[in-house]
Amino acid sequence: MANPERVKASPLARRIAKTNGLDLSQINGSGPNGRIIKRDVEQAKAPPQQKPTAAIQHGAQTTTQPEIMPLDGMRKTIAARLTEAKQTVPHFYLTIDCRLDDLLTARKNMNAHLDGVKISVNDFIIKAMALALRDVPDANAQWGGDHILKLKQSDVAVAVAIEGGLFTPVIRAAESKGLKEISAEMKALAGLARDRKLTPDQYEGGSTSISNLGMFGVKNFQAVINPPQATILAVGGGEERLIPINGQAVVANMMTVTLSCDHRVVDGALGAQLLHAFKHYIETPVALAL
Amino acid sequence: MSEEFDYLVIGAGPGGYVSAIRAAQLGLKAAIIEREHFGGICLNWGCIPTKALLRSAEVLEFHHHAANYGVKSSGATADLPAMVKRSRDIAKQLNQGVQHLLKKNKVPSFMGAAKLVSKHEVQVTDKAGKTQHLRAKNIVIATGARARILPGMEPDGGQIMSYREAMVAEKIPSHLVVVGTGAIGVEFASFYRALGAEVTLVEMLDRILPAEDAEIAAMAAKSFEKRGMNIRNKAKVSGVKKSPQGLEIMIETKGKQEIIKASHLLSAVGVVANIEDIGLEALSIATETGCIKVNAQCQTNIPNIYAIGDVTKGPWLAHKASHEGVIAAEHASGGHPHELEKLRIPGCTYANPQIASIGHHEESAKAAGYEIRVGRFPFMGNGKALALGEAEGMVKTIFDKKTGELLGAHMIGAEVTELIQGFAVAIGLETTEEELMNIVFPHPTLSEMMHESVLSAYGRAIHI
Repeated sequence: MANPERVKASPLARRIAKTNGLDLSQINGSGPNGRIIKRDVEQAKAPPQQKPTAAIQHGAQTTTQPEIMPLDGMRKTIAARLTEAKQTVPHFYLTIDCRLDDLLTARKNMNAHLDGVKISVNDFIIKAMALALRDVPDANAQWGGDHILKLKQSDVAVAVAIEGGLFTPVIRAAESKGLKEISAEMKALAGLARDRKLTPDQYEGGSTSISNLGMFGVKNFQAVINPPQATILAVGGGEERLIPINGQAVVANMMTVTLSCDHRVVDGALGAQLLHAFKHYIETPVALAL
Repeated sequence: MSEEFDYLVIGAGPGGYVSAIRAAQLGLKAAIIEREHFGGICLNWGCIPTKALLRSAEVLEFHHHAANYGVKSSGATADLPAMVKRSRDIAKQLNQGVQHLLKKNKVPSFMGAAKLVSKHEVQVTDKAGKTQHLRAKNIVIATGARARILPGMEPDGGQIMSYREAMVAEKIPSHLVVVGTGAIGVEFASFYRALGAEVTLVEMLDRILPAEDAEIAAMAAKSFEKRGMNIRNKAKVSGVKKSPQGLEIMIETKGKQEIIKASHLLSAVGVVANIEDIGLEALSIATETGCIKVNAQCQTNIPNIYAIGDVTKGPWLAHKASHEGVIAAEHASGGHPHELEKLRIPGCTYANPQIASIGHHEESAKAAGYEIRVGRFPFMGNGKALALGEAEGMVKTIFDKKTGELLGAHMIGAEVTELIQGFAVAIGLETTEEELMNIVFPHPTLSEMMHESVLSAYGRAIHI
């Protein structure tokens, strides 16, 4: 018999998982050292309602002494994974400008027809990236050590900053989802991320990631790939710029994005193709609906 | 301005001193303020000195029953002043032990009454009326609780007593009426009954030990009556007449009036939190039904001010207070302490017979919507119990039929207060009936009844 990796779980949690057909390896444990306890399985059975963010830490702070902050699980994971990524994944970077005017108009018109959900520019970016991966399937892949894993749907992860770190929940098969659906799903996942209630099936895997720092006034940056994904798109803020069109200076809304690629999977030309497809969807938002 | 502490605890009871020591272990600069006794009520006027008295009563009863064991013994009598002295000596020893522990952990103590003057400042007034101000980043309110006093039953230093006077009585009451039948009430009832007093228990609700499982409480009532106690359920004290000859206690039972003549009355109708005169109002610290309101990390509505133990919502137990003390210290030092689950706090009553319980009882499990399996095993079926001459009692277990979760355990009989922790560990680790059945219990021990009770819930008990 194979010796499966031991999942730490209480006997009661094991039994409830078994009776309900839940896979313990997919459940986050909140007990000592990540042990899965009854509460975790109950939560996986019925995802809880969003709760307001837990009370902020009010620790004792000494005035001038440097303070040692113990690492929590999230910080340890971030440290381990990104060190591994930056040291073992051969990154290269492709930068491109996208004109946003049509997208902003389309967004305004769409939102005028919606009450409740408001579609954000980021929702357009998720959808555009998903369609670009569909159109350039060779770039929708992961490095597997001795093989390349080609993915059949566009699972787009989105970095969500939370107190003390970040999570990257994944919108699965985003190419097949409408903007409204993506928007609603993103809101729900971001809420769960902030409450630290994401389950591994909500953040593991994925084709690519989107990291958007536009809201902080960042113009352009280069993101670290989140393995096993092969690419990550760093999105800067939209702004008015003067651009030459037919020899005339025109005021246009522009956004600069940078795609980081894992050279083992995505070569320069392939990355450029993917980025070009992305730009096409951003600048021709009507194509998003096709 | 005086030096500033990271962590300042008000009250050195089992919540406060444990909290201060834990904070010191975590590297916080901790200090503690106490107005009276290190160790609080628990150690000076509660848990420990009553256990000392009850042990004296037990020794006396052994002598009375010595013949049952083939031992000839005569002339054993109660020497109450000596019993009280022993009890006080033990309290004193532990009180000094707490001071030693605080010193060992470099936690300075300040004697006096504390009052919050700001979010970061406490005024301490000593017995001479001298005040000083202490500053701290975090403050912990651990001021505890005191006996609830009902009008007409105010302790008078003589005939009417609270637990405090009952613990240092000079004379065995000829007839003691105990009002209130929680742990404190029945423990003193057991003690004085063993010493030969006539004892009447008066309970407002429909049964004694109202917090316990009904079946266990009924067994306790039967056992107390067998030992010669009188019990009045659904009874209210409507008046107390005092005279030098004794008390006339008016009791209203189901609409009927009765006058009980007694030498003493012990009021044991619960406790009230010590929330007065500590500056809560000035800082608008929120309270709820007379207790300080806290979140799962024991924070009050002012995040750097914590409250733990009896000054917050019950259960009013020393071990609950200590546990909360640890949670507050760990949280204040930036940690993520686990939450205290109230259904996983065991409770112990040291009457004769003892009672111990944890988790849901039968009624509350059903009310919470569980379909249950109940296991029972009597002391009569256990070899060790018979060898000890303790054939009275039962171990009862309650399981969730669907998941096998141990929802609760309830025991009555000799030494059950030492057994309950086995089930507390089982519940804490979330074992199901399967693990409990597969665990080897040593023979011959009383703990075998725990195993048999689990087996019995699933129709597999061997020795019954």
